[in-house]
Amino acid sequence: MRLLTHNLLSSHVRGVGPRGFPPRLQATEVRINPVEFNPGFIVRMIPKVEWAALLEAAGNLHLIEVPKEPIQGYEHNEEFLRKMHHVLLEVEVLEGTLQCPESGRVFPLSRGIPNMQLRDEETET
Amino acid sequence: MNSNHQSNYKLSKTEKKLLRKQIKARHTLLRHEGIETVSYATQSLIVANGGLGNQVSRNQLLPVLEKCGLVDALLMPPNKPYSCVRYKTVEESKKAYDTLNGKEIVDDLGQKIILYLNFVEKAQWKELGLQALPPGLKVIEEIISSEDEKMLLESVNWTEDTDNQNFQKSLKHRRVKHFGYEFHYENNNVDKDKPLPGGLPDICESILEKWLKEGFIKHKPDQLTINQYEPGHGIPAHIDTHSAFEDEIISLSLGSEIVMDFKHPDGMTVPVMLPCRSLLVMTGESRYLWTHGITPRKFDTVQASKGHKSGIITSDVEDLTLNKRGIRTSFTFRKVRQTPCNCSYPLVCDSQMKETPASFPESDKEALQLEQDYVHRVYEEIARHFSSTRHTPWPHIVEFLKALPSGSLVADIGCGNGKYLGINKELYMIGCDHSQNLVDICRERQYQAFVCDALAVPIRSGSCDACISIAVIHHFATAERRVAALQELVRLLRPGGKALIYVWAMEQEYNKKKSKYLRENRTSQGMKEEISNDTSVQELLVKQLPNVGNQDSAHSVSSINDLQDGGCNSRNVANSKLPIHTNRTSFHSQDLLVPWHFKGNPGKDKRVEPFGPLGSCDPGPVFHRYYHVFCEGELEAACRTLSNISILQSYYDQGNWCVILQKV
Repeated sequence: MRLLTHNLLSSHVRGVGPRGFPPRLQATEVRINPVEFNPGFIVRMIPKVEWAALLEAAGNLHLIEVPKEPIQGYEHNEEFLRKMHHVLLEVEVLEGTLQCPESGRVFPLSRGIPNMQLRDEETET
Repeated sequence: MNSNHQSNYKLSKTEKKLLRKQIKARHTLLRHEGIETVSYATQSLIVANGGLGNQVSRNQLLPVLEKCGLVDALLMPPNKPYSCVRYKTVEESKKAYDTLNGKEIVDDLGQKIILYLNFVEKAQWKELGLQALPPGLKVIEEIISSEDEKMLLESVNWTEDTDNQNFQKSLKHRRVKHFGYEFHYENNNVDKDKPLPGGLPDICESILEKWLKEGFIKHKPDQLTINQYEPGHGIPAHIDTHSAFEDEIISLSLGSEIVMDFKHPDGMTVPVMLPCRSLLVMTGESRYLWTHGITPRKFDTVQASKGHKSGIITSDVEDLTLNKRGIRTSFTFRKVRQTPCNCSYPLVCDSQMKETPASFPESDKEALQLEQDYVHRVYEEIARHFSSTRHTPWPHIVEFLKALPSGSLVADIGCGNGKYLGINKELYMIGCDHSQNLVDICRERQYQAFVCDALAVPIRSGSCDACISIAVIHHFATAERRVAALQELVRLLRPGGKALIYVWAMEQEYNKKKSKYLRENRTSQGMKEEISNDTSVQELLVKQLPNVGNQDSAHSVSSINDLQDGGCNSRNVANSKLPIHTNRTSFHSQDLLVPWHFKGNPGKDKRVEPFGPLGSCDPGPVFHRYYHVFCEGELEAACRTLSNISILQSYYDQGNWCVILQKV
C-alpha cells in the first residue's frame, strides 16, 4: 500500500462518517519501490492530497524529507516534485495496521493489502 | 546449538537431543510431504516448525533468518508447518543451519516454537515453489510387505459375481468389487440400511487394526471397494460423496504404481505418484474439496531422477520420463456416514447444499446470506481459475479509461483480478474487491488493491475523479442493495466526476436480433463456456449490434416508460426458489443461479467418461452463482433514483447494460 493510496482510505465503521479519516498507520514492514518519475503526474496529484493525513502517515513511518506543505510554484520545482514522488509512490507498506481514529477499530494490512472488511454488526446498514 | 560450535566428535546431552529432533523432523518431512533433505550444505534450507501452517508469520521468521545472511527468497507454502529459505551463498546457509537449529521463537499466538533446519537440494526447492500436496493428503510408502501384497492380490476372486450387476463383460472399464456396503454408481452413494453380509474380508481387518495401532489412520473403515485398473483404464475426476463417507478415505495401491491427479476448484492440478504398496490417505480439504482421478492411459509421466518415489510430479521438464503402467489394484477403505455431512466446504457438499435451497430473498439479511453463499464463497474458491481464463479488456471500458485526464484518481469497485487497473498508466487507479484471493492476484500484478464490501467502500467521499463498476452490481440480491451500491459509487466521486457501470443484461438479443451466443447455441462450445462462467469472460463479438453511442439512449428512453410498471417480462414472486440457469439458453428469470463447472471446461472435454461399470455419468461438482440480470432501462432507472447525478450515456455492450453517469 502506497502512501497515496493510504491518503484515500477512510474507516467505514458504523457512525464514524468523515471522522474515519485518516486511518492511523502503523507499519512493521516497509519497502521502497522505485517508480519512474513523471513530473506532470505528480503536479496533477498534489492538489488532491490531504496534506495533514500524509504528514501524519509519513511521521508514523519515520520518513524524513517530507515537505510540510506544497511550496509556492511547486509545479516547476523539480526537487519538491521528486520528493513528493518518492513519498507518495515509492514507499510501500507491506505489513502493518490501519486504525480508525474515531472508533479504534484496527484493520490488518498484510502483504501490501489492507483488509477493510467490516463484520456484519459493524456495517452502516 | 550455539554459535561457539564445539568439535563434534563428542556431543553433549542437549546436542544429542537436538540432533534426534532434527532427524525426526527430517523423517516427518519425507514421510508426510515428500521432501528429501540432504546431509551436505546447500543454499536452501527447510525450516521445520516455521510455517504458516503452525502460525509462524513471515515477519516473525524473516528477521531471524536475515541475521544469518542475505536471504534470497523465503517461501512459505500456505497451511504447511515449514518454510523454505534460500540464502545468497552456501556459507550464509551454513551459518543459519549452525546457529538456528533448535532456536526458540514465538508464534502468532504467543506460543514458543522450536525451529529445526535441514538442507535441501535446488530441485526440491523448485518443486516446493510450484506446488504443494493438497492439504490433508498423505502418501505412506511401503506400508505393507511384498508378501502381503501378493496375498491380498490373490485373495480377490474376480470370477464369482457372474450374476451380480458389478460383473463387467467388456474389458472397456475397470473391475470393481464391494464389501461392507454396496456402492451405487447411479447416485454415488451407499445404502446405509442394507449392509452387505460378511463385512470386510478378515485379512483386511487385521491389516486395518495394525494401521490404526501404528497411527497411520485414525478411524476404522467399514466399507471396501476394490478396483482393478488395466493399463488404459482410469476413473473420472470426482469428490467422494460427502454424505456417504466420513472424513478419512484411504487407498492401498497394489501391483503397479500410478499417477493420480488432484484438482482444486480453481483449476490448480497436482499430479501425485502412488507407488506400489503405498497407502494414500485423504482427509480434510483433499477429501472434501479437491477432486481426484486417474487419466485413462497406458503411460504416466514421472520423475526421472532416482530416489524420488511418492509425492508430487515436478513440472521441471528436464526431470521427467515415461513410466509404463501395469495392472494396478486398489483397496479403498472408507467409513460410512450415518449422519448428514457438516464439513466446512458447503459449496461442494451434498448434505449442506440440499438443506439450503436458494430462494428469492425477502429481507436485507436474507440477501446478505444469499450473496455470501452464492457470490462471495464461490469467488474465493474459483479465484485462481477465474483469473487465468482469458481476459481481454473490453474496448469501451478501455476507451472510457483512456479518455480520462492524466493524473486522475480512479477507483475500480469490484476489481476482480485487476483486469482494468493497469490499462492507463497516466491514472492513479486503486481497486477493491470482496474476495481476498482475487485481491491477492491484483497485488501479485503490483496494483494497489484492498479488500472491502462494495456497500461500505472505505474511500473518503468526493475524492475520486472517476469510478468503474464492471460486472459487480448484478450480484446484489435486492433492488435496495443495488441502489445502495450505486450510491456508494457516487459518494466517492468529486463533483463532475464520472462513473462507468456494467451489468449483465437479461436480453441476450438486442433489436430483435439474437446474440451470437444464442444463435449458435449448439455448436459454439466456447460461447457456452463463457456464459456459463462469468460475464467478464464473455468474448461475445456481437457484430450485428448497432453502433454504441448516444443513439442508444434514445432507444432506451422509450423503453424506460415501459418500465414504469415493471416492463420486464419475468417478475420474481417473493419466497420462490431461484431457478438454475441452463447454459446456452436465454434468461427466463431476472434472479437466478448460473452454474460454474468445477472442471472448468465442460464444453472442451469431448470425452464422456462413464463413472463406473454401469456407465452412469457424473459431471462433477458445480458451483452456482447468484445473478440479478438487468432489463433494458433498469440500470438507468436505478441511477435516476439518485438525486445528484446526470446520465451521460446509456448503451448495450456485449450482453451488458451500461451507463456512464456524472456527479453534478
